[in-house]
Amino acid sequence: MPQIRNYTLNFGPQHPAAHGVLRLVLEMDGEIIRRADPHIGLLHRATEKLVESKPYNQSIGYMDRLDYVSMMCNEHAYVMAIEKLLGVQAPIRAQYIRVMFDEITRILNHLLWLGAHGLDIGAMTIFLYCFREREDLLDCYEAVSGARMHATYYRPGGVYRDLPDRMPQYKPSQWHGEKDTQKANERREGSLLDFIDDFTQRFPGLVDEYETLLTENRIWKQRTVDIGIVSAERALQLGFTGPMLRGSGVEWDLRKKQTYEVYDKMDFDIPVGVNGDCYDRYLVRVEEMRQSNRIIKQCVAWLRENPGPVMLDDHKITMPKREEMKGDMESLIHHFKLYTEGYCLPRGEVYSAVEHPKGEFGIYLVSDGANKPYRVKVRASGFPHLAALDEMSRGHMLADVVAILSSQDIVFGEVDR
Amino acid sequence: MNRIKHWVKSFTLWELLLGLKLTGRYLFKRKITIQFPEEKTPVSNRFRGLHALRRYANGEERCIACKLCEAVCPALAITIDAEPRDDGSRRTTRYEIDLFKCIYCGFCEESCPVDSIVETDIMHYHFENRGENIMSKPMLLAIGDKYEDDIAKAREQDAPYR
Amino acid sequence: MAEQELVEIEIDGKKLQVKPGSMIIEAADDADIKIPRFCYHKKLSIAANCRMCLVDVEKANKPLPACATPIMPGMVVRTQSKEALVAQRAVMEFLLINHPLDCPICDQGGECELQDVAMGYGKSVSRYTEGKRSVKDKDIGSLVATDMTRCILCTRCVRFGQEVIGLPELGATGRGEHTEIGTYIEKSLTSEMSGNIIDLCPVGALTSKPFRFKARAWELEQGTSVAPHDCVGSNIYVHRHRDKVMRVVPKDDESINECWISDRDRFSYEGLYHEDRLTQPMIKKEGAWQVVDWQEALTFAVDGLKKVIDDNTAAQLAAVASPNSTVEEHYLLQKLVRGLGSHNIDHRLRQTDFSDQLATPVSAGLPISIEAIETQEQILLIGSDVQREQPIVGHRIRRAYLRGTNVCVINPMDYHFNFDVKEKIIVSPSTMLQELAAVTKAVLDQTQNTRHGKVADLLKQVTVSDSHQRMAKQLLGAGDKVVLLGAHGLNHLHSSQIKLLANTLSQAISGQCGYLTEGANATGASLAGAIPHRCAANLGVAKSGLDAKQIWQSQLKAFILLNLEPEYDCADPQMALASLQQANFVVSLSPYMTSTMKDYANVILPVCPFAETSGTFVNIENKWQSFAAAAAPQGEARPGWKVLRVLGNLFEQEGFDYTVSTEVRDELKVAVDGMTMTQTNQDHIPSTLNFSANVDLERIAYPPIYRTDNLVRRGESLQRSGIAEAAAVHLSANTATQMNLADCEQVTVKQNGQHVNLPLHVDGRVPDNCVYIPSGFAETAMLGVTSPAALTLERS
Repeated sequence: MPQIRNYTLNFGPQHPAAHGVLRLVLEMDGEIIRRADPHIGLLHRATEKLVESKPYNQSIGYMDRLDYVSMMCNEHAYVMAIEKLLGVQAPIRAQYIRVMFDEITRILNHLLWLGAHGLDIGAMTIFLYCFREREDLLDCYEAVSGARMHATYYRPGGVYRDLPDRMPQYKPSQWHGEKDTQKANERREGSLLDFIDDFTQRFPGLVDEYETLLTENRIWKQRTVDIGIVSAERALQLGFTGPMLRGSGVEWDLRKKQTYEVYDKMDFDIPVGVNGDCYDRYLVRVEEMRQSNRIIKQCVAWLRENPGPVMLDDHKITMPKREEMKGDMESLIHHFKLYTEGYCLPRGEVYSAVEHPKGEFGIYLVSDGANKPYRVKVRASGFPHLAALDEMSRGHMLADVVAILSSQDIVFGEVDR
Repeated sequence: MNRIKHWVKSFTLWELLLGLKLTGRYLFKRKITIQFPEEKTPVSNRFRGLHALRRYANGEERCIACKLCEAVCPALAITIDAEPRDDGSRRTTRYEIDLFKCIYCGFCEESCPVDSIVETDIMHYHFENRGENIMSKPMLLAIGDKYEDDIAKAREQDAPYR
Repeated sequence: MAEQELVEIEIDGKKLQVKPGSMIIEAADDADIKIPRFCYHKKLSIAANCRMCLVDVEKANKPLPACATPIMPGMVVRTQSKEALVAQRAVMEFLLINHPLDCPICDQGGECELQDVAMGYGKSVSRYTEGKRSVKDKDIGSLVATDMTRCILCTRCVRFGQEVIGLPELGATGRGEHTEIGTYIEKSLTSEMSGNIIDLCPVGALTSKPFRFKARAWELEQGTSVAPHDCVGSNIYVHRHRDKVMRVVPKDDESINECWISDRDRFSYEGLYHEDRLTQPMIKKEGAWQVVDWQEALTFAVDGLKKVIDDNTAAQLAAVASPNSTVEEHYLLQKLVRGLGSHNIDHRLRQTDFSDQLATPVSAGLPISIEAIETQEQILLIGSDVQREQPIVGHRIRRAYLRGTNVCVINPMDYHFNFDVKEKIIVSPSTMLQELAAVTKAVLDQTQNTRHGKVADLLKQVTVSDSHQRMAKQLLGAGDKVVLLGAHGLNHLHSSQIKLLANTLSQAISGQCGYLTEGANATGASLAGAIPHRCAANLGVAKSGLDAKQIWQSQLKAFILLNLEPEYDCADPQMALASLQQANFVVSLSPYMTSTMKDYANVILPVCPFAETSGTFVNIENKWQSFAAAAAPQGEARPGWKVLRVLGNLFEQEGFDYTVSTEVRDELKVAVDGMTMTQTNQDHIPSTLNFSANVDLERIAYPPIYRTDNLVRRGESLQRSGIAEAAAVHLSANTATQMNLADCEQVTVKQNGQHVNLPLHVDGRVPDNCVYIPSGFAETAMLGVTSPAALTLERS
């Protein structure tokens, strides 16, 4: 009698649906998953150790590269940890800017997720639409920080620069004449805030379009409804956070439950799912984009009205203005020392977490009083989610693994660190 | 009633038609595509791209070999050797940026007390041979010389924010 | 100090028990409470002129300077109170008013006390917008760069000059904002310790000139090492950048060098990168030099040496090592040579009298600790320019002098010291012995000492004058006493007799007798067995090999030279070179290649000099100080101990299987710790004392401070510094007049058929009928150093 044996399948690490470099070892009984074993670490860059070897500010750029689709949120957790240990708070305008960009980042992340999720399941069009909107948001990133992704914009004590008063504009070419260019530049006539404001006006309509394409679509529903169900209780036990937890019906959001910066002044709702399946997680994320849009709108309104400093004026921590640095001795010394040696944090330990688009992203930082951290631990939101992949995909079909994995919104920069 | 509505919608592929209507509409909309090599998307004056070393208007190089950029560079991409020049001033004899190591964080520009090292808005460049990733001092100065007007304009526009 | 004498005070809420009369800042430093300061330095007097250390003292109506406020019982001090912080911030603001915006181009940037204190205690933005003062830079020589605009007038450098080195060369002129620090008349600093003001300066006003703009403090990696030039063994940090030594700074060691080092130790690293550095092994084949790999060079060396030994006897092989080599190198070299069957090995290059070598203790150095020099009451220097030869010992003697110690000297030249000399006898080298004998006789007479009968017999003919009696009386004063023998004593033509008298004298005055040996590791070399009459760790040999003098005289066939440039390092370079040139095979292990070396050597193996090799130096107080390599070897150069180890292997000798240099050291150390001190301390009594000089014009020869070894000779900044000497003929005014010669003339020196042209300097330090021609120069290399051969001068 022939022996029936489970078939072991290697999924990745170079599979297009593996969301980076994940190697999944799947034990299959026919097309049914009996065991899914994620092998991680292929994108390990020793970020934590790198951070431990550098003055505090120099590591901000490395935070961008953790979850490289929600750059500023990573930075936020890091600078907040430093601020917490220093016992300082960024100026209010900087806090609004941070909240605004956190939410822009959330939309950026969810748009990428939605596009990629669609691709994984087989919906091509949505990817293009999502990336179209991402382009506008990346322009905001670029306008404010100079980089479209790895911003290095948040600093302990505020943000590096205030929002610019003008946006870069298209130039006429042989393909697009004066008139076309003028039309393309319509949104770019004003300041960055105007540009963002314009986006927030358009965006709810665009989300409607995504929903038109997907929410009721029968193929979409067949691929996501009742796939990868996690009960609320189980989600909590597995350490889920963010949309993964909310998709299972637990109303938990750090922005409300452990409010930071100016989230307490923002009016927004926490969407929750019912069944905890891929479809619910999809709905939660789509609704989160709408809520983020609301928050951005409120921030834009506030920022228009309230000019002010975006960086603390304490040059024992923050860099002096360039003009001052060139003119007076104290500022030059502080500039010199901050850029070479940095500042020292008081002895102690701190954990600071933000509601990252993917869940709770935390930085645990131990200082021995030196100018670099003694120990840094990154709490990657995706890590516990990926750990639950086995449980979520067991008993499903091979194709469902892709849907489940992509509904977890895994990014390996963060998981592998 | 709802069940009937649902059945009809389901039977007529209603939601698929709605989707097709949406995509169909975009078929006739103005294209947002740009023709890349000839056309470019707008670039912010804060953009952090390829590096350059600047000179003063009198042709004297700005860099004074203070090594702040080397110290602050998180990726250790900058290598500087310095010694007194014949006139006794502090100058670099070697200023190299390894573009493979560089993470374009902009700290070098932030730290420079004399606005010498800058990150320009140049982003389209490539290497053909091994070793070309290391930008030497003459190369960096040449970029600075070539694009000085653009560089100066962008810095001036952004000066109030820095 | 007894417990009850301590008083209790409180600083920042911490209860402290401190000595009454000490300053607040000292108590705070001991308790690790940080008080900012610029002018205060623990080794200097208190100036209290920077006001940075203002602290809040209870019951005082204004902030008081912590450095100048003595402790009172029950005092309550707050260094962090609002009042103190406001005062500190205000002082900082004033200090920065006139400070130029130089940080980016200032070498001090990153290790600047002004920056650190400004960050810690100053304001973060200036309120001052008016113009700043500027001060013209001074040129104070090739070692210290000045940017006097940066000076904050803490006067540490001024106090260092006045107090520590006793040369008030720097001073403050002008008042108020017009105060400037400078040499009153523009000139180079002439101290052998001037480099320490670089470390003292809290700002970038005084920085190292050779290091100027080369690297930033934060780029430097720090390695610890031991200074390789004198027998003190100063502890140093070697700072390297990309495996290149960038600078040397002192490492605090209260028992040796405190926080100072001499300029020679600080700046000689420049020699590491001299163009003479050899980075690849070279061999001479058929008269032509070629670069080869190590394998070939070593095989060539071994074959060449084997051939000589086979053709002749092993006794035709000699090894000569510089006393600056490490213990490991000395040990392995003697192990190799003795293994090959020869005892001809020596490191005592400038010594000429070896007649008492079996009687002298194997590790002749300082019987007291270096620190204890300060507590001596009477010090007698015999033939020593201690300040130039061992600057740290000189500094200790100055400290003793400041305490009230009497220093007497018997010298062949009237050296300038930074301490006053109570009694001095300045005579020609040959007469030194006579004078010492007279002083010894005077002491023996005055004490009615009969224990030294044999020596007393020798002294019967000696006439004792008043000056001898005075010195003897002085030496017989109360307290601890030490007789220190310097290079002119140890390398004297009759050094055995000098040593005998010095020992007798020190015993008669119930003091100690110390030898200030040459090089960094003379003691170590003796212990390691790099001497012909004893194996390592004082094990006797059946028949002594040839000593340094005999080696050159005996027309040997093969030589191994370690770290040596015989034309500069030997007592008689002429003879040494002649001997090497007639030899069949010469292997030179040297970091440098010179044209002379090309002439006589057959193989040159590039070994690592100081900082590139690990090793051990044993200083005069018999302290073993090991160090690791502080920088990577240049090119193919390899540490000497490794080269010798492989040579041992290639000669198929036993016991050359070391993997690290510490194994070599440990092997020797175990032997040394268990060694028996037989054969030592027996007086070697000659039948008669050689008092008369057999020439009319006696040459005084010794390498000046920056010509002593191959590394420092290549330190280019040192060669240009204020106290670097040039090759010249120095005569006293009397002798010059007698010879009808005038100052600054070119004269021809003739000796042994050699003649050189040198400028003449009339030098008040030189006694009559003597001529001081420094050795260690290419120009003077062909003159016999202590050779008694007649020397004539004539106008050229």
